[in-house]
Amino acid sequence: MEEFRKAILQTAPPENFALQTVQDVIKPQKLTKLAQDENQLLENILRRLLQELVSSAAQSAEPIMQYGMSIDDNETAQGHIPRLLDIVLYLCEKEHVEGGMIFQLLEDLTEMSTLRNCKDIFGYIESKQDILGKQELFARGKLVMLRTCNQLLRRLSKASDVVFCGRILMFLAHFFPLSERSAVNIKGVFNTSNETKYEKEPPDGFSIDFNFYKTFWSLQEYFCNPASLTLASTKWQKFTSSLAVVLNTFDAQPLSDEEGDANMLEEESATFSIKYLTSSKLMGLELKDPSFRRHVLVQCLILFDYLKAPGKNEKDVPSETMREEIKSCEERVKKLLEVTPPRGKEFLQKIEHILERENNWVWWKRDGCPPFEKQPIEKKTTHDATKKRRPRWRLGNKELSQLWKWADQNPNALTDPQRVRTPAISEYWKPLAEDMDESAGIEAEYHHKSNRVYCWKGLRFSARQDLEGFSRFTDHGIEGVVPLELLPPDVRSKYQAKPNERSKRAKKEETKGAVRQAEENQMATPASENDGEGTRSDPDGPSVAMDADTTVAAGSVSQGGTPTPEENKQSSDTDIGQEAGQLEADAEVEPGMIDGEIDAEVDLDTAG
Amino acid sequence: MLGDATNWDEDAYRESLYKEREVQTRTVFRTAWAPSLSGCPESIVVASSDGSIASYSIASCISKLHSGYGNTKSLLAAEPHCFLQGHDGPAYDVKFFDAGDNTLLLSCGDDGHIRGWRWNECTDIEVPIYLQGSHIEPVMDLMNLQYKGPWGALSPIPENNAIATNTQSGSIFSAAGDSCAYCWDLESGKIKMVFKGHSDYLHCIVARNTVNQIITGSEDGTARIWDCKTGKCIQLIDPAKDNKKQKGNFSCVRCIALDASESWLACADGRSFSVWNLPASDFISRTLTRSSMQDMVFCDNQILGVGAEPLLTRFDIHGSILSEIQCAPQSAFSVAVHPSGVAAVGGYGGLVDVISQFGSHLCTFFCQYR
Repeated sequence: MEEFRKAILQTAPPENFALQTVQDVIKPQKLTKLAQDENQLLENILRRLLQELVSSAAQSAEPIMQYGMSIDDNETAQGHIPRLLDIVLYLCEKEHVEGGMIFQLLEDLTEMSTLRNCKDIFGYIESKQDILGKQELFARGKLVMLRTCNQLLRRLSKASDVVFCGRILMFLAHFFPLSERSAVNIKGVFNTSNETKYEKEPPDGFSIDFNFYKTFWSLQEYFCNPASLTLASTKWQKFTSSLAVVLNTFDAQPLSDEEGDANMLEEESATFSIKYLTSSKLMGLELKDPSFRRHVLVQCLILFDYLKAPGKNEKDVPSETMREEIKSCEERVKKLLEVTPPRGKEFLQKIEHILERENNWVWWKRDGCPPFEKQPIEKKTTHDATKKRRPRWRLGNKELSQLWKWADQNPNALTDPQRVRTPAISEYWKPLAEDMDESAGIEAEYHHKSNRVYCWKGLRFSARQDLEGFSRFTDHGIEGVVPLELLPPDVRSKYQAKPNERSKRAKKEETKGAVRQAEENQMATPASENDGEGTRSDPDGPSVAMDADTTVAAGSVSQGGTPTPEENKQSSDTDIGQEAGQLEADAEVEPGMIDGEIDAEVDLDTAG
Repeated sequence: MLGDATNWDEDAYRESLYKEREVQTRTVFRTAWAPSLSGCPESIVVASSDGSIASYSIASCISKLHSGYGNTKSLLAAEPHCFLQGHDGPAYDVKFFDAGDNTLLLSCGDDGHIRGWRWNECTDIEVPIYLQGSHIEPVMDLMNLQYKGPWGALSPIPENNAIATNTQSGSIFSAAGDSCAYCWDLESGKIKMVFKGHSDYLHCIVARNTVNQIITGSEDGTARIWDCKTGKCIQLIDPAKDNKKQKGNFSCVRCIALDASESWLACADGRSFSVWNLPASDFISRTLTRSSMQDMVFCDNQILGVGAEPLLTRFDIHGSILSEIQCAPQSAFSVAVHPSGVAAVGGYGGLVDVISQFGSHLCTFFCQYR
């Protein structure tokens, strides 16, 4: 401690010796930054030192901030305590010691000092506001500072120490960020204990209109707790009727400019009072007082403003009639304010402006008190570069976005003769037809019919373009689907069937098919349904066939497995079966039935 | 039973119709605040068109208003505290003759009488209200003279439209229908002075006691200032002089008002009123009003006026409107101001509206009794 005592006496700036002193005393592990326990140790030493300084200052009956100031020295010399504080502040600022230490010392100091000395101390705090407000220090000490200030405010008299109170409040306002919400009345709770008391019993005799007096002051109850108005409509009605009485009275007694001027002079000399004087004897005078009138009218406006603001929950929203009433009342009040001298119009404008700002704060609160301070974007240049390289894609990534925009960018894609389209089956099946020519002698491995994707696609095309050929699939397999005209004449005869024979067989097949389908359905209904849907919906989908491939691939994947020709066969089979079944059902089996699908189900049931 | 006209009493029916109409059109012609010791407006005396003079207690009106009706707009049918059947035909004016303990309540009416009652007899009555009416004998009864024509034919008794008093000399001034004003001696009950000069009946009269003058307003459109000693007209005020020349319309001086210092005179004729400064004999201002003024009174340096519209208007001395307060009677015939600032407006429909000094309605009642 002695070292510090000596250090205080040095007149050189703290950066020359402060760190050195600390190092000497604590002998820290690291050279420039103290560990936690070392900090604690240092803090204890400093606090004790401060305490001793204060007590010796008190004994010498000197103002503590000037204690130890050498008289014969030049005038810049400081007292011991500011000196100590300067040193600690320097250490804190340079992060040699823990940042909260200076705040701790200041709190100690204010608590140890009399109010008169506190004024000096606070002067010191104000002078160091810039340093104390630095981000690192502020973060460490804001709570301590707030506590210190609040304690001070509590000790001060609201009536006689207004200037000091104001200084503290100003300091707090500057010290804390604008959006600091610790002082905000987040829930918007009203101070319902702020009651305006008035006489409940008429005074002896009734030289005044006591009913009016009561009506008038009863308004304060609502001003004190505006929330109560929205809850009960009876209260609102009572309020409006009372207000109407008061406004009528104001209306009936317009104030002249002279009265306003007289009041202006009076007001300048008069002390400001925070509560109304509610003596019934004053009522008459108050009604003639423009500033009194203004207070009441402004209270009305504040209340209306509150009522108009959308509530936190739906229930709080005023009803339509209430809103109308508010509007008309508000207009009346504003008109009254306008005619209340002196300079009513300007006054009203100011009030409206203030209320508007107040509204903004309400919104700010409702949005959860977002901070106003925007941290400077320091790494702007580097960030920008990377950001520019990574533009935002509308649909997640570049590929999707391009697909999305493709149609827009190629408006004539549809009319382009070069575009990819569904190949005609006569073209498509050509390779298979060539393979089917036995004279070509294609090995089974390279035969097109063993190319599953080729066959699948071909079947799809045939189903859309050549149903008859497609239907041959049941009899002849994939090779039957190939248009006859593509086949060499000898092969052709093999797949050619006589039409009547074919239809007969088809019939037979269909009944069989229905049964088989039923069986199948029994076994795996969902699967078959899926299949059916898959096959049915797909051909409708990509009429722009450029991505036929992908959809086919997707389709096959979605079916949950590689579609073997067998499966294909089955699925298409059921399709046909169903369709044919419908026709049949209409024709002969169950004439009463209309809907084919129900039909099939009924079939199914009977079969089951 | 229905349609049986054998017992039809035509007269009774006619009577009931008249009665009903009378009740509907009952009019309060004058209100006067009773003198009170506390300085608060305690009771008000109302002279109305049925010839009755009734006093109402404001306190009981207010209490009834609030216990019975709450704040609703329904009118209070007030029960008088004292009821005097003062005159046959309408009672036009009522005044207090302030003589210390012996305050007299004076009234005048269409029957040409001026009657006086002891006010403390009126206040201290124990007679139940339904028996009141003629229970107190007037201590004074003055009657206007009838004119004798040829062969002893008597003219009708001229009515008294207004009265004024001079407590010091113990005189009562009356504005009579025979275009004369009379000065009565209270002690002897004799006419001391007759003020002749107006060419038509008198509407109103005020006494300017500091200089021993009276001012009268007449149907002939002029106001005259008279000296009481000589009975001569000192000054003729013709407020409608310019008007008459220009438009040829003729308007009476309906009411005149004198301020407390007795140096300002307000004088209403037709749809305008003018203000005069008496010491300087100076015309100050002339103000056009929406409706014709029917009564005016000075209240400090302001003028309260009522007229044929439901408004109590407050003017400053230059005639600019300071405020307008809605009041109950559709047409108001009387306004009376208590020293505390409370004003009572009485008028058509038997309505009396008491307006506090704040401009709020203290109570509104309806003289329905009998």
